[in-house]
Amino acid sequence: MNIQLPYKFELSFPGDIEYIPAIRKFVSEVLLVSQFSPKFAYRSEIIVDEICNNAVNYGCKTEDARIDLICNVYEDGIDFTVKDPGGDHHHIERLKNAVSIQSDEKSDKGLGLEIVRMLSESLNVVIDEQNLTSVRIVRKREDISQNN
Amino acid sequence: MIVDIKEVAATPEAVILQFSGELDFESIKSLVDAFKKIDTSSRKYAIAEVGKISMISSAALGEFMGFRKTLLEKDGDLVFAAMNMDIRAKFTSMGATKIFRIFNDVRSALNAFKWQQGLAPEVINLTFPANLHLVPPVRQLASRIAKQKGYGNKDSFRIETIIDEICNNAIEHGKKGEDQNISVKIDIDQKQIEFDVINTSDPEKLETLKALLKPTHEQKIHSEEKRGRGLSLIKMLSDELSVDCSEKGTVVHVKKVREVKNGISN
Repeated sequence: MNIQLPYKFELSFPGDIEYIPAIRKFVSEVLLVSQFSPKFAYRSEIIVDEICNNAVNYGCKTEDARIDLICNVYEDGIDFTVKDPGGDHHHIERLKNAVSIQSDEKSDKGLGLEIVRMLSESLNVVIDEQNLTSVRIVRKREDISQNN
Repeated sequence: MIVDIKEVAATPEAVILQFSGELDFESIKSLVDAFKKIDTSSRKYAIAEVGKISMISSAALGEFMGFRKTLLEKDGDLVFAAMNMDIRAKFTSMGATKIFRIFNDVRSALNAFKWQQGLAPEVINLTFPANLHLVPPVRQLASRIAKQKGYGNKDSFRIETIIDEICNNAIEHGKKGEDQNISVKIDIDQKQIEFDVINTSDPEKLETLKALLKPTHEQKIHSEEKRGRGLSLIKMLSDELSVDCSEKGTVVHVKKVREVKNGISN
């Protein structure tokens, strides 16, 4: 029974760096069994790693902070959203700056979002009044005919 | 050098030492005084937050080593957090990275302590479509998490087998449909791991499932009988198994105690 697209999976895990390798590997393996190419799966893994690391390092203040990852898988690509409880004011401003900077500008972004931007179609950040932060990434297959 | 001692309300046995300035020879007295203050208290886990220090001398490092030894005798530890690259390089050149654990930040260090003390299990939740192709990544996820948290290879493989069996059953015997999902909850701590796997029951198979779960049925499983072996396998590999099935859904709960031989995870 092949996997019917589109579908969604959701993960919630403690805001601890230790979980990230297993989480990004999981995303990569899910994409492989969903008939995405190894290249697509690996690049998605890189993005998940970067976003989740930021979420843990900058978005988790309390000991019980958790990260939520929601991924929608379509025929022509994926979108995933990483949510964290939000960091302090300084980190929120850094994130906003990092998202708004154009790719050809040189600055100390420090958040690795440049890599994410290079590998994705779109990157959106939503921060609500309680600093709950959602980072949404959209990735399309590079060439559907080549199954990338 | 300035050192502030901060208590951790939620974790009374832990204390944070916030350093700033230079940990040079002249700072040794302040360092020793801070250590003495902690030594006379009930705290046994010290986190040295060193993000704001610009240098550390060998003499200061020696004092840290000595105090760590004191805490180890109390079944505690001294760890470092928020270390910058220069200090980390100095630690590496002095071989100190082989002795001390170093965390990205104080929060990670505290989480590691809470984990060590078994103060609270960590919970991972996953929801995925009821499709057999997704089971291998799910079982690998469970296995990798167990290994990352210090479970041995044997335990991790058994955990993988348990999850594989339960998820396969949930998909094969649960309600069919593109909108059907499987939920997996993993509770893991130093001593044990527990799973709850939830699916929507297939009304046509509910009675068969209930029959499979009857104690008398387990005794009648013969070599040629294919049904019911999965649950027997899970029972062999785990320490507790319970299944609650109703019209709403089936919840399979498994507990597996971590195997430790001679102080080493199996």
